Amino acid sequence: MNKWIFVLAAAAFAQDARQIVEESQKRNRSNTQQYEGVLQVFNPNGKNSEKRWQFYRSGNYGESKALLRFVSPPEVKGVALLIVNHPDRASDQWMWLPELQRDRRVALQDRSTRFFGTDFSYEDLEERDVNQSDFKMLGEEVVDGQACWKIESTPKKGKSSQYNRVVMWFRKDIYFPVQYEMYAKDQLVRKLHYRRIEKVNGVWSALEMEMFDVRRKGRTVLKSDKLQYNVALKDELFTLQSLRRGE
Amino acid sequence: MRLLKLISWQYVRKHLLRTVLTMAGIVLGVAVFVGMHTANQSVLSAFNKTVDRIAGATQLQITAGESGFDEEVLERVQAVPGVRVAVPVIEAVVNLNLKSQGNILVLAVDMTGDRGLRDYDLEEGDDTVIEDPLVFIAQPDSLMVTREFAAANGLAINSKITLAAMDGPRTFTVRGIMKSSGLTSAFGGNLAIMDIYAAQKVFGRGRKFDRIDLAANEGVAVPDLQKQLSGMLGAGYEVESPSARGKQFESLSSVYGMLANITSLFALFIGMFIIYNSFAIAVTQRRSEIGIVRALGATRGQIQALFLTESAILGLIGAGVGLLFGLLIARAISASLGNFLGEIYGVAQKADEVSSDPRLLFGALVMGVVTSVIAAWIPARAAAGVDPVQALQKGRYQQLSAGENRVRRQVAAGLFVVVFFCLFFAQNRIIFYSGYFLTVIAGLLLVPTMALWLSRAIRPVMKFLRPVEGTLAADSLIQSPRRTSGAVSALALSIALVISLGGMARASYNSIEEWMRIALNPDMFLTPTQNITDRSFRFPAGFAEEVRQIPGVAYTQVVRNSRIMFQGNPVMFVSIDVANLRPESYLPAIQGDSKTMYRLAAEGKGFIVSDNFAELYKVKYNEPLELNTPNGRLSLPVVGVVRDYSDQKGSVLLDRAVYVKYWNDDSINVVRLYLDGKTPLATMKARIEEKLAGKTRLFIFTNQDLKTYIIKITDQWFGLTYIQLAVAVLVAILGIINTLTVSITDRRRELGVLQAVGALRSQVRRTIWLEAIAIGVIGLVVGLFFGSVALYYSLEMSARDIAGLRLDYTYPWGMAAGLFPVIVGAALFAALGPAEQAVRGGLVEALEYE
Repeated sequence: MNKWIFVLAAAAFAQDARQIVEESQKRNRSNTQQYEGVLQVFNPNGKNSEKRWQFYRSGNYGESKALLRFVSPPEVKGVALLIVNHPDRASDQWMWLPELQRDRRVALQDRSTRFFGTDFSYEDLEERDVNQSDFKMLGEEVVDGQACWKIESTPKKGKSSQYNRVVMWFRKDIYFPVQYEMYAKDQLVRKLHYRRIEKVNGVWSALEMEMFDVRRKGRTVLKSDKLQYNVALKDELFTLQSLRRGE
Repeated sequence: MRLLKLISWQYVRKHLLRTVLTMAGIVLGVAVFVGMHTANQSVLSAFNKTVDRIAGATQLQITAGESGFDEEVLERVQAVPGVRVAVPVIEAVVNLNLKSQGNILVLAVDMTGDRGLRDYDLEEGDDTVIEDPLVFIAQPDSLMVTREFAAANGLAINSKITLAAMDGPRTFTVRGIMKSSGLTSAFGGNLAIMDIYAAQKVFGRGRKFDRIDLAANEGVAVPDLQKQLSGMLGAGYEVESPSARGKQFESLSSVYGMLANITSLFALFIGMFIIYNSFAIAVTQRRSEIGIVRALGATRGQIQALFLTESAILGLIGAGVGLLFGLLIARAISASLGNFLGEIYGVAQKADEVSSDPRLLFGALVMGVVTSVIAAWIPARAAAGVDPVQALQKGRYQQLSAGENRVRRQVAAGLFVVVFFCLFFAQNRIIFYSGYFLTVIAGLLLVPTMALWLSRAIRPVMKFLRPVEGTLAADSLIQSPRRTSGAVSALALSIALVISLGGMARASYNSIEEWMRIALNPDMFLTPTQNITDRSFRFPAGFAEEVRQIPGVAYTQVVRNSRIMFQGNPVMFVSIDVANLRPESYLPAIQGDSKTMYRLAAEGKGFIVSDNFAELYKVKYNEPLELNTPNGRLSLPVVGVVRDYSDQKGSVLLDRAVYVKYWNDDSINVVRLYLDGKTPLATMKARIEEKLAGKTRLFIFTNQDLKTYIIKITDQWFGLTYIQLAVAVLVAILGIINTLTVSITDRRRELGVLQAVGALRSQVRRTIWLEAIAIGVIGLVVGLFFGSVALYYSLEMSARDIAGLRLDYTYPWGMAAGLFPVIVGAALFAALGPAEQAVRGGLVEALEYE
């Protein structure tokens, strides 16, 4: 009897975890997004670098398309990345190289590699649909003085990911994620921390994120500037033709 | 052991020079064997090392011959579940015109995923160059080089290197200098890393890759993945481990390996005769000692064992010294051999280090000892058979008995009968080689008889030239054929080898010249590579049209040469627009009808194959030739067989349309150009350069340039064999020195008597000189005769087992005539030392000898 109560309670917890993630995605939903990003990479050897980009997104989790185009430094200016997310499988990604005047596909196998020399991986840029993972409530903890739910996400069977599990902290008051811990083969490999959480155009947003690569001891700070939601973006912006035109 | 110390050691100490000369045969035989093989092995090892270092963690490589394959194949491979990482690769050897070592191997990869297979640790430069592939690939002029290469060329970060790209000269920037590691030692450290998409442009690859390197997921069995990928891609793709590339190169250069085998074994064989000769003489000279020892109770077995042990020790020391010399030879020639083989086969490697295989060295050591023991076997048996009573009597022992000579002649005649029958069943390889072996044995059995007859034949001539000295020298030879026959055999074998290879060279030159006259008749050839066998760079399909527009150009033909795997071997496929081929370029059909053959080939209804391809792969006229291509199986009949020298291992000619359709490759290696005849060649060359050189990588060869280049390569090939032959002749010269040294020791009393009765020193000298010249001439005559037979067998071997090339029998009379002064000169040179030895001995001592 006790055993059954335990199973039912666990099921209810699981349902809660999924609902929290769904609620978070629902609350932060916006049709489009654009910002100017600054990527600051702090290498463990003391060499730091900075890259700036413009970011555009259309659609939401699982069905979104994103385009980011570098504006500096000069050696990468014009390089762009087009990401087309799918609800049922990993995203498609293409890179545009203006000097060569050609696009190249970023292979799925390469998604675990570092994204443009930062501590993010290509996979970290994907917006995954809630149906691609299973969720489990691990409990509640305080992060940055805020009460949070601690939820574990594991990829569903057949879904590919470099991480075998991701632990997420969601602020209870606004259903907004503030911290992630990513595990590969049960080893902690990356930590993502959200800062400067503000409401922009009615959408809660982190204006600063810091990714820490546990293995290489490097960290990358992504700052968003001129962030706007629900602005008018043409669908054509998120096509290979547009990527090739360098628009 | 005691016998060794008491008898052998004393003899060796007394005849130290002769012992050294006896060993020299083995030293040279083993040195040639080890030198040639180690050099060859070093080249193969350098190639394998480069393949291995570049492979990194690669478990399988996917190729489709040299034509490469479309980019979409990569996506299909990456989508296979068992594949952990699959990355595209383009590899090319480029001459950077820098002051250091010349060529550099450019490895072009997609840095995004390539670090899953290879490590690129930077010593200098911004780490982001490798840590952020974006920086590297966003700037297509990026290049990473090794520390060794940078140091040799004074390069630093941001140094510029100009590379002759397909679309003209391009400046590249050194963005990273790699630390020394496994990868950086590939190609002797002359390695550069480039972005693959930039390389597609630089090397004119279009949207194609040369190959895919991949590694399997954990827990996935590589053979299973190999099968899965082969099944998915189809038979036109090769899915192999990286080491398979080494085997392909080995297969390509097998002709050289075989030549090295034949020559070095021949050298050892010749060395064997020198040892046989020395031991036969030693037994004769030591008859009295043997007699005493036998009288004191030594058994026949002990005497035989004594001589065999002596020969084994000599063989061991000789082989040991030969090993050292062999390694020195290898060190001296491996780099140039590597360049030479690279030029012939168009395969990149850099053999700067000598790579010796302990098994080969041990094998050579054993071979030296065994050869020595075999050579001493008959003399040792003769020693064991010495009758103590007769041995203690003084007398001449060098004379062959009439009965002994008759038996040899009878055995030789019997063998010749067998050889004659072997010729009728020569299709069978075993019977053919048995026939060859028996011919050599029969010939050698006849050497003493031939030497005797020839000595008698030249006696009047020698007497006419120098009545006293000539007669004495001739008589010495007539009376002691046993002493002479070993040296004559060794010399005859050397000369036979020279004649057979010289004949092959002559026949090859004749055939190649005839082939060039027909097949290479355009006025000019345009290529994107400096070396015509290198296919790293290719012209795009539209290039020929651009050339055609140049005033003065009457006609163009495009050629694409590509090595494609056939029956597990890389075979040269030559695709050309056959309908566009001028009738005067038609090679005559050896099988089939020329006109029909070219018509069917032009219609894409058949292959034309070279005779050596047909011979090596047992392909028959009119029968279908089945090929696996990236676009499925291609089966067309062989519509004709021609004599073609495009490649040493055979070639297949097919219509360009068929090639483009099945291999998705419309690139061009060579544009054949016919001019209108109104503009001088030099003007046309300048005009073409002016129009195209700035836009594309371009090398212009006139008809004469190309022919000279091919003849140069052929010269190098045969030049290499001449070097080997020079060593073989050296062995024979040593034989003459040995024989004369023994002859003088043997005849000390006779020579002493001569001087006692008033002969002048100069007369004695001349006697020895004439004797040497006579041995040389006899060896030469016998060798020229043996050579005529050896040439027949060499041509057959070449056609059957080496290159498949059927060459016409052409006896090299010019070479035979040229050998006369060489051998006479060598014999005279060989006689100088012994002649001095003959005149410097004390008269009394000489008269007391024996």
